Amino acid sequence: MTVSATYDVLVIGGGHNGLTAAATLAKKGKSVCVIEKSEQLGGMAREVAHLLYNLHPKVVRELGLKGLADGKPLATVSLVEDGKHVEIAGDTVRFADGTTHPDAVAYVELTSRLKKFAALLGQLSSHSPPKLDGGLTSLATLGELAGLAKLGLNLKLLGKKDMNEFLRVILTNAYDLVLDEMPDGPLAGALCADAVRGNYVGPRSPGTVFNLMYRLGQGGEAYLPKGGMEAVVCAFESAARTAGAEVRTGQGVKRILVEDDKATGVELEDGTHIAARTVMASTGPQAVMQMAGVEHFDVEAARRIRNTRCKGTVAKLSLVLKDAPSIVGLSREQMRSRFLIAPSAAVVERSFNPAKYNELPAAPVIEAVILTPSDPDLAAKGQHILSLNVQHIPHTPEGGWDEAKRQQVIDTVVAQLEVYMPGVSASIERADLLTPADIEELTGAPGGHWHHAEMGVDQILTVRPVNGLAHYGFAVQGLYLCGASAHPGGDVTGLPGRNSAIQLLKDGVLS
Amino acid sequence: MGQHDKFDAIIAGAGHNGLTTACYLAKAGLKVLVVEKNDWIGGASVSRSLHDGWTYSNCSYVCSLLRREIVRDLELPRFGLQVIPYEGGASFTPDGDYFAYYSDHDALRREMFRHSPADVDAYERFSQTVIRQCRFIRPFLLRNAPDPSSLRPRDLNELLFLLKKAHGLGARELGETLRFWTMSIGDFLDEHFESDLIKAHIAGAGIIGTGLGVYSPGTAYVLLHHYMGDVDGSIGAWGFARGGMGAIANALGACLEEAGGTIVTGSGVDEFLVKDGRITGVALENGDTYEAPIVASNMDVKRTFLEHTEEKHLPEDFTRAVKRFKIRGSSGKLNIALDALPEFPAAPKGAPFLRGDMHCSQSLNELERAYDDWKEGRWSQQPYFDMLIPSQIDPTMAPPGKHMMTVFVQYAPYDLEVNGIRSGENWNDETRKQFADCVFDKIEIAMPDIRKHVLHAEIRTPWDIENEVGLTEGNIFQGELTFDQLLFNRPVPGYSQYRTPIDGMYLVGSSAHPGGGVMAAPGANAAREILRNVGKGNLMPSHAA
Amino acid sequence: MNQLPTAVPIGVIPTPLQTRLEDLSTAKSWTNWAGFISPLVLDTVEFEYFAIRNQSTLFDISPMHKYRVTGPDALRVVNRMVTRDVSRMRDNRVGYALWCDEEGMVIDDGTVFRFSDSDFRICCQETMHSWILDTAWGFDVDIVDESHQVAGVSLQGPTTFSLLSDAGLTVAGALKPFDMAEVEPGLWISRTGFTGDLGYELWTSWDKIAELWDRLWAAGDHWGLRAIGYEALNICRIEAGFIAAGIDFQPVHTAMRLHRGRSPIELGFEKLVHFDKGHFNGRRALLKQKDAGPRHVLRKIDLAGFKPADGALLYYKKKKEVGHVTSGVWSPTTKRNIALAEFKAPYGYSITDDLWAEIYVFEEGVWDKRLVPVTFEDKPFFINDRSRATPPRPF
Repeated sequence: MTVSATYDVLVIGGGHNGLTAAATLAKKGKSVCVIEKSEQLGGMAREVAHLLYNLHPKVVRELGLKGLADGKPLATVSLVEDGKHVEIAGDTVRFADGTTHPDAVAYVELTSRLKKFAALLGQLSSHSPPKLDGGLTSLATLGELAGLAKLGLNLKLLGKKDMNEFLRVILTNAYDLVLDEMPDGPLAGALCADAVRGNYVGPRSPGTVFNLMYRLGQGGEAYLPKGGMEAVVCAFESAARTAGAEVRTGQGVKRILVEDDKATGVELEDGTHIAARTVMASTGPQAVMQMAGVEHFDVEAARRIRNTRCKGTVAKLSLVLKDAPSIVGLSREQMRSRFLIAPSAAVVERSFNPAKYNELPAAPVIEAVILTPSDPDLAAKGQHILSLNVQHIPHTPEGGWDEAKRQQVIDTVVAQLEVYMPGVSASIERADLLTPADIEELTGAPGGHWHHAEMGVDQILTVRPVNGLAHYGFAVQGLYLCGASAHPGGDVTGLPGRNSAIQLLKDGVLS
Repeated sequence: MGQHDKFDAIIAGAGHNGLTTACYLAKAGLKVLVVEKNDWIGGASVSRSLHDGWTYSNCSYVCSLLRREIVRDLELPRFGLQVIPYEGGASFTPDGDYFAYYSDHDALRREMFRHSPADVDAYERFSQTVIRQCRFIRPFLLRNAPDPSSLRPRDLNELLFLLKKAHGLGARELGETLRFWTMSIGDFLDEHFESDLIKAHIAGAGIIGTGLGVYSPGTAYVLLHHYMGDVDGSIGAWGFARGGMGAIANALGACLEEAGGTIVTGSGVDEFLVKDGRITGVALENGDTYEAPIVASNMDVKRTFLEHTEEKHLPEDFTRAVKRFKIRGSSGKLNIALDALPEFPAAPKGAPFLRGDMHCSQSLNELERAYDDWKEGRWSQQPYFDMLIPSQIDPTMAPPGKHMMTVFVQYAPYDLEVNGIRSGENWNDETRKQFADCVFDKIEIAMPDIRKHVLHAEIRTPWDIENEVGLTEGNIFQGELTFDQLLFNRPVPGYSQYRTPIDGMYLVGSSAHPGGGVMAAPGANAAREILRNVGKGNLMPSHAA
Repeated sequence: MNQLPTAVPIGVIPTPLQTRLEDLSTAKSWTNWAGFISPLVLDTVEFEYFAIRNQSTLFDISPMHKYRVTGPDALRVVNRMVTRDVSRMRDNRVGYALWCDEEGMVIDDGTVFRFSDSDFRICCQETMHSWILDTAWGFDVDIVDESHQVAGVSLQGPTTFSLLSDAGLTVAGALKPFDMAEVEPGLWISRTGFTGDLGYELWTSWDKIAELWDRLWAAGDHWGLRAIGYEALNICRIEAGFIAAGIDFQPVHTAMRLHRGRSPIELGFEKLVHFDKGHFNGRRALLKQKDAGPRHVLRKIDLAGFKPADGALLYYKKKKEVGHVTSGVWSPTTKRNIALAEFKAPYGYSITDDLWAEIYVFEEGVWDKRLVPVTFEDKPFFINDRSRATPPRPF
């Protein structure tokens, strides 16, 4: 056993949240070391995400990230079999051929209302969730309550009508909310697809309005950054390094060392001990518990942690095409869009049904984007990359994954694409599929879940990831959770990492 | 009846809530009229004799939720109401076994041990959580839901009461409460139990009457809604009303009569009469009109405002909100006259669990698939049902040696899909029979010879329930029990306190807080509001005040 | 169709000793103990009580819940569960222990039998199977619910060692208090009990317990052996100052109301909370409570007068209600009016004078209310050298 230098903070996992936490702490003059198991940094942001849409401005500002989400956002095109695709570009909604869409006004009204609500909720996202120790009226919580009271005040400022609407819809389902405003079709389908993205839900599941608001947290615009998600990860890495953090890759952590109920460092898989005054982990809660040792967690906490809902439902499919893809009814310019195959809310719900029984969907909801226009280096000359997020693929289908089932997923997706891109199957040079199980294997995300833990209303705020451990501090003194399973949750926001770092400083464990 | 054309208050609909409101108002000295479209009273709390010698509780069928404060205020036992607790329940399996829910605690533990040793203690933990949640929620049933967007002292008071209760929980329990209220019954049970059969047995209470599946978030609360009742203080216990559920309506009717109220049956409200934003009375379908400064509707919020009130009297926002109110039919019912008690090959003769609720659902996934069918407009191919034979306990329900069986079935759609078209009109004798056959096939798991004992079966679909009882889409709760339609959101935000946009007009049915089930709380709460508004709040009896 | 399932019995069921007890019971006074038929009184409470303090008595403890924890991580799991450090216990020792939930509230108390560092038995009043499974999650152990495999009798009283010798079990003489030994294949004796007197608990398999009973019975005549019920035992356990789950504290997992749990510190067992052994369930909450001070305190008290104070409310300066008696009896041996009582801190903790108990007495149709002064007792009410002497004096 070799012991190397003592750090103020060791960060396990070099995903974007780990890097954000490291950067935030290093900026405060703390000695920080990030340890990443794989050779490359970035975790889910690199392997799974293909668009950037929820990066938080505070993180951008504090880390000095530049040039990521300040280009022109991608339009969304919701594809439909009859060719009457719907194009959504900001608040402009029309048919892809430029003609007026009858539900454009309803769409804008609904989404601007939701964005307003999302902004309100967003106030809770850049702080630790409210602490309720000692009940609601004890002195200790007055400070915590101030944050809530501010939310309450802002609610009142919304006006009675909006406030009533906020309280009505906050826990409800996207399907009803959307179909109350417009008939079912590709526009409703697009909203419902965004409401279920990454989560183990269908649009009829209560709570999906919250998911939709979360998706719209920063206005909902999606960006294809120059250089792809690789560039995003590089920006986070450079922020961490510039701030003085050390970054080590290709080193897995075997266990977190705990002495006298305090985190004291880690042991790497090669047996090396690294001492530290605090340890942060951006992996899932169960992995952190097991690395630190279950014995340091109360029985109830361990039970809650292992009951965390984290069934991944998104598969990533990368298709390398030898011809430039085109979609019937779309212009060349429109091919630089985010495509959704979600022709109706009902279809989105049907896409989810089989996943509940660990079956493969016959018609999955798909989000697709062609990466090569903005990043030609990604593929060999003349080749094109179509990146697809395929929703509602179970983590492990009945009987387990095998080649036949993987091929079945690819075939199902390609058959769907063929409807809109006739001839696409003949153009495929290579197809790389990452199932949720692969994603878990590759990144350590629990269940291969996009958000490390389901973003259900029973798993957010003061109960994320679990009741009693929602304030980043993870049972053992000096041990912190800083990944997507912590408040406010998933997506490339940078917030869990940032908030966790701030909480660590506030708790005074380094002083 | 023409001699009284002017009343102090008119109640439209003689369901248990309408009658409850009427009783409280009449006891406070108001001259009260109840009008009812059917020739009988009770709404969905009825006993009907549809086969000679048999009594069917053909809508609601068991009693637990009826608030004891109301029973006491209105002296319902004196008017003939008796509730007899039943003795457990069971879920039967195709391989000839069963899980029996014994009321005897030791027997229940042994039975759980037989199925899954790890689940025995888990059940105690489950019960503790559920009972704690029931204890938390019950004080709110007979109170107004505060309007959080209001600054009126009363709303702030109610809000404070809620905060105090929440404060009393402490941080840990508050977190557990938030989770419980937002999670699915399926996830909740998965956190506690291992046995599929035990989970399926309990899960029914999380979906009964809703358009949700066992894995839909929010269904743990629905379970609470079914558990928060009691039979004589025993939380979660259920019983039969002797003589069928009509006994509740009849006792309320008798109470009302003694208090000097009037009931007119056989013609329903055609229109609520409004002048200058004030209610003036009702016009009946038969052309009669009655005047009153107070009119309360026991009909659901959609029926009341979209069908029987002129739109011009209502604010646009309100009408919009009422239109989007979710009130989905999801359940059907079989009421069956049996020539004898069927054989239960798996169960010992005379086993107590046969005198309770019986089911044949095997797993949460089976229940979830049943929901998937319904979403597509089909009845469940593997339906969930809640099946009881009350005549084993209550001899008034069937002739000696014969039996009456009630089977609540879920899911059955209101707008049945046939050849790609979804419509209630698709329910006809043929589809009804197919639906019943599907249910009988599954009942055979428990009672293989059931079909040969059937003398008569009334098959009720959501479509039929709407047409007969008047519940929109046949929804038994007058509106989904989802958070967007609970507490201050019920029935629509801003109108959660039994009032409506029309002066003097009130909503007293289950569309109002705290919602459905034969609880009578909306009726009592509405009466309290009405009396307070006419300056007679002091005349509300103390138990429900 | 498969064979019909066997229906489980409804109601209370017999232990293997029920046939013996049935014969001895003249009072026919039974209670439900964990689903089993258990005697409250077999004949007369007084005679049974005096037999415990002067002779030998047998009580069927088979209904106790018994869980076996075995495997490489057994020590870690038991130490994770209970507040005391079982690594400090030697093999073949029995230890009284309490265990807590995450908030430091007592789930139950009981005895931990340490056979070795990879083999323990936990013996307790409440059902604990799921809890031990939960505690053991992530550890390499096997958990077996032995409740219905291992049966036991409690042999208590000053003549019990003499009786055991006559029954061919002289080897028990070497046992110090809380020692245990397998004295014959399949027969374990522990020098434990719930009476504060000399006594032993004998453990064997469910199907051998009746045989053991008969063996003891045959040797018991000269030593005044009596079978007893719970009521006599209860007087002795209060005299000994032992607490009972569900009476002196509400096991927190069975509390339907919030905040009814009590911590080991509040129950007076801070010495059995070994904060220095590493994490155990509820440790962080208990540390906090140690700093903040207890909310309640359970104390042994002595009351004036002769009337048992069970259920009496306690007052400060005869006015302010500050607690209640959880267990109260007239102690026939010490001739004192004794009780266990819960006070709201700081009463009974830093304020110990001017405390009063309000005792209601019903005599021949008349209720009488008596306010009697309360004093504190730190030691057990009943103490006798014979309970600790090793080898025990023949008596």
